[in-house]
Amino acid sequence: MPQARLDEITRLFFRVGTTVFGGGNTAIAVLQREFDRRGWLGPEKFALSFGLARLTPGTNFLAFCAATGWYLQGIGGAIVAVLGTTIPASVLVVWLTQAGEVGNGYPWARSVIAALLAAGVGTMLGAAVLLVRSQCSSKKWLRPVVIAVGSFILARTVGLSPLSVIGIAAAAGFFWTES
Amino acid sequence: MNILVVYLLLLKATLTSFSGLASLPMVRNDFVVRYHVLSDRQLNTAVAAGRVGPGPLGIYVVSVGYLVAGIRGACAGWLAMITPAFLIIPMICFLGSRAEHRRAKAVTRAVLLAGAGLLASASAPLARDAVTGPLSLIIVVASLVLIALTRVDSLWIMLGAAVVGLLAFQL
Repeated sequence: MPQARLDEITRLFFRVGTTVFGGGNTAIAVLQREFDRRGWLGPEKFALSFGLARLTPGTNFLAFCAATGWYLQGIGGAIVAVLGTTIPASVLVVWLTQAGEVGNGYPWARSVIAALLAAGVGTMLGAAVLLVRSQCSSKKWLRPVVIAVGSFILARTVGLSPLSVIGIAAAAGFFWTES
Repeated sequence: MNILVVYLLLLKATLTSFSGLASLPMVRNDFVVRYHVLSDRQLNTAVAAGRVGPGPLGIYVVSVGYLVAGIRGACAGWLAMITPAFLIIPMICFLGSRAEHRRAKAVTRAVLLAGAGLLASASAPLARDAVTGPLSLIIVVASLVLIALTRVDSLWIMLGAAVVGLLAFQL
């Protein structure tokens, strides 16, 4: 697995912090794909980061960044991942607050943001497909598909919280192991 | 308002919540109801700014800090937002060495798959807001296909969507 350099980690997280709209889930989807593209993080470490981030207080996405940064380059990686993601976005949010306070409306910006949000939704759905596909093979596809679809139904239809869904999936994974 | 108090109040809110906007009731209770340093309208502005910009939804605490105490308040909000994230590192150190076990791997894979289901589920309400016409629907489908079936860099997909949005406004 290629070793990620600190400057490469900084660039990736900075980019995600400035260009990905639609919240933490979209950003995780983008990061998952970029890790996969670069061969930086295996599915086990990604899954552990994702699961533990849900159990960490505060913004789950930032805990996810800290975890993946930690896996890539230790404490330095964790720090640059969190700073790279949050500093540019924080500067922008202050600017947006100022703009909102003085009542400025920018229709062109709204049009761009609407397009970015649509792309964010497509990215999330695409990443969900990629995640399931990464765990499937021609012979072993039933367990991944059942767990992913079941999680979707539990969250969307039954209305369980993400933490509960992850807990149920973890229990299913514990008792339903692959041969 | 004292900058340390701003930080501690926002930290209390972020430490006792487990997702971006879950800290909102506590923030409102402290800054709007208890200390009267923020109005409901300003809190709405902060939440809207957090939703419109890039990054996680929890970033609205930076905006709250800014509205309460200016740039120094924004810095306090930013610190309160990132501080809890580092709690995950001791959790990894504790669990990481146990992650190679067969059953542990099966559990982490199941959690990963649950993540896929949750991603799809979380995209549903966003899609309701984001898909406002044929153009946005085309952008959703095109992004999905490009992400799932090609190795195109995500940055180009986002930039492409931004250009399409700008062209749509001009036309």
